[in-house]
Amino acid sequence: MSTQDTAAPPGYFGSLLEIDLSQRTHAQHELPEALLRNYVGGCGLGSRLLYDRAPAGVDPLAPAAPLLFVFSPLVGTPLTTSAKFAVVAKSPLTGFINDAMCSSHFAIAGKLTGNDAISLTGACAEPTVVIVDGAGVRLEPAGTLWGLSAAETERELRESLGHRYRVSAIGPAGERLVRYATLSHDGRHAGRGGLGAVLGAKKVKAIAVAPSHKVASADPEHVLELARDLRERSFGPATAKYRELGTLGNLLAFNAISTLPTRNFQASQFEGAQRLGAEELSELREKTRASCASCTIGCEHIYSTDSGNEMRVEYENVFALGPLCGVDDPDAVLEASRRCDMHGIDTISAGGTIAFAMECAERGLLPAPWLRFGDGAALLRAVDEIGERRGLGDLLAEGSKRVSVEIGGGSGDFAPHVKGLELPGYEPRTLQAMALGLAVNPRGADHNRSGAYEADMSGEHDRLKGGSPHVGAAIATEDRAALIDSLILCKFLRGAFEEPMREWADLLAAVSGWDVTESELETTARRIVLTKRLFNLREGWVATDDWLPERLLAEPVELASGRSGELPPARLRSMIDSYYDSRGLGPDGIPSTQTLAAHNLDHS
Amino acid sequence: MGTPKADLMWHGQPFADRIARLLLRSTDGPLVVVAAPGQDPPKLPREAVVVEDGREGRGPLEAIAAGLRALPDDVVAYVSSTDVPLIHPSLVRRVLSATSADVDVAVCETEGRLHPLAAAYRTTVLPEIESLLSADLLRPMKLFERVRTRVLDASALLADSAISKLDPTLASLLNLNAPTDYERAQALELPEIKIERFGTLRRSSDEPTTVKAATLGAAAQAAGIELDQHIVAALNGDQITGEAAVPLVTGDTIAFLSADGGG
Repeated sequence: MSTQDTAAPPGYFGSLLEIDLSQRTHAQHELPEALLRNYVGGCGLGSRLLYDRAPAGVDPLAPAAPLLFVFSPLVGTPLTTSAKFAVVAKSPLTGFINDAMCSSHFAIAGKLTGNDAISLTGACAEPTVVIVDGAGVRLEPAGTLWGLSAAETERELRESLGHRYRVSAIGPAGERLVRYATLSHDGRHAGRGGLGAVLGAKKVKAIAVAPSHKVASADPEHVLELARDLRERSFGPATAKYRELGTLGNLLAFNAISTLPTRNFQASQFEGAQRLGAEELSELREKTRASCASCTIGCEHIYSTDSGNEMRVEYENVFALGPLCGVDDPDAVLEASRRCDMHGIDTISAGGTIAFAMECAERGLLPAPWLRFGDGAALLRAVDEIGERRGLGDLLAEGSKRVSVEIGGGSGDFAPHVKGLELPGYEPRTLQAMALGLAVNPRGADHNRSGAYEADMSGEHDRLKGGSPHVGAAIATEDRAALIDSLILCKFLRGAFEEPMREWADLLAAVSGWDVTESELETTARRIVLTKRLFNLREGWVATDDWLPERLLAEPVELASGRSGELPPARLRSMIDSYYDSRGLGPDGIPSTQTLAAHNLDHS
Repeated sequence: MGTPKADLMWHGQPFADRIARLLLRSTDGPLVVVAAPGQDPPKLPREAVVVEDGREGRGPLEAIAAGLRALPDDVVAYVSSTDVPLIHPSLVRRVLSATSADVDVAVCETEGRLHPLAAAYRTTVLPEIESLLSADLLRPMKLFERVRTRVLDASALLADSAISKLDPTLASLLNLNAPTDYERAQALELPEIKIERFGTLRRSSDEPTTVKAATLGAAAQAAGIELDQHIVAALNGDQITGEAAVPLVTGDTIAFLSADGGG
């Protein structure tokens, strides 16, 4: 096993492995230390690499479009929750930047191939498996793996290659270019934005990696000390929700505070929520808990389905396939979720698109009388048709934005997306810092890159009356997300940090040896957010892309208290203007020359 | 009473703080508190804007004028004294809604007595009040005679379904003017609060679903829940808060939930 290249800072290899699938060649490129320090790793480094390496205006499904696996400095250390990796590409769903993350052993093995990032460009002539290990890079025929689910592919590949190999794979939906197909590893998904379709377009079924290098930390003893401390904190109250119930613990609480989007955002409370809540389901169906590699939280709660299968259950998949579609039958929701995994499609976009289609069908805009809110069988049929691009599913596989353009009839007003990415389970009308976060996020309607719901739920401001406090909160949470997604640590750990940026600077300093400070990381976070915006700008972003669906601005939702959650367009406009101003953007959302210079950025 | 009424305690909370917070619960704000000249401001929520009474000892009109001056033009303000710890948001909302384009003041009346400090005033009446004050006409009745005033008697108030359910004795209008009033009020039963627990806070199905408490902090304590940075409460499915001082009233439901909504 090789040791770390001494030219690179500790925690890094200073190397990008670029694999040209069309030419069947590969090359290693040096990643300068300044680039690594400016973007840290993960989503940050990936955003910059994509900006630099993707041809302007490239079709996300064209061979020239790169797809990047990006690792981070903390991977391979004993720091809890650090075994995560980012996958970055131009999204076939949004046409803008997409940086999704996934967890576990692939992160460690991928980095220990001796690379901070692996880039795939070009396309294979036939379905292929990419293998990166100590012997180099090999492209092998996918053979009978093509057509299998990601989980089956992973299992078979590890059987044939050996268990030290770790595999990221796509399901059949990725092969069929479903625009919200996922890329998976060990049952976890780089789920949003259609990365599975990007890989499918390259005819790559899977990438298998095996460790061949070692990586050192600048101060291993201090890293170990920090890791022990963080481990202790990870057992504390900040992570109790994740540990004891998992993210599904959100569902009933969100219902109680009118922030559970229901029937395609026609309501914010669901009368059938009780049947889907973790408080009830965990008693009836929970079989076990699981963790990602290097994680002491253990947020994964595995439930049994009525068909005898087991299923990882998360708030977002239950929300999207349950209340959003008006379905309260837990068997149908869990089975739909399992089938999404089997096909390899994002549950949020699947649920959002199906809920939208249900409303369109009920309004007579889609010729699908079988597709009705609340119908579990219809939900399952729709999931399968999407995964197989069959019947109506061929259209729904394009996502709600494209469907609304196709069918017209004013459906664009209630298509539940921002920039083409379907909305997650956080009602913007009753979480108005989050409303801003969703509107301006470069990835689209996303709750992981903008965690502004944190501020809405802190009680520090009136969550129903968006204003300047909400803008500050949205920016702060967006910055923290940019950083933690670049280090990378799991966001479920964020509540364990009293002073996140300072503590993260300590972690990065101990690993890299850099004299990095809280202030430097704050600038780094802003640089990462700006870089994503610059990428989008180059790819055709216009100011109207930073907006919310008309329904959310025109139709209030009622709360149990008698107040209503109302987000007038002028209020959203005002928050966006204030966000632009605070971010150093012009009124058109474009970074000023001074802002670019202050963050060592250049854009033409 | 021997102590400024604003500083009297209501189950561990100063009157002024409780009344101010209950008004914040009842309206969209802003909140103006009128203090006597030179008076140390009592403990108040951070949203409160404190102004001084123009001239002390000249009755409620002087204080009402000071408060209205601190408000934006042409809004309707609920005006309350600080000695009504049993005030219920449903009554405040009802009185505010009784003003209209044709009504400048809506004032409560019980047993033939008007309550100028349980009334809603349009800020446009300020010139009329100032005119009365400059003429040393200090009785609120003089104002009510000169502007379009709507009187809400007990039957009018109790016609509101929320008031008839949540404040059927109109305790909202109970001024505590003497130590015996104070003692009697303190002996009243605390409001019954419905408790909902979510996520990890729901430990078993036989946990109590109601508690008696005057504040959020007391309700949390009674429910065995520690309010900290990891746990927040939603009041009636609406505002989320971790502030123990949030006052509670009959009919309230508190949902305790994780402060971390990550998913």
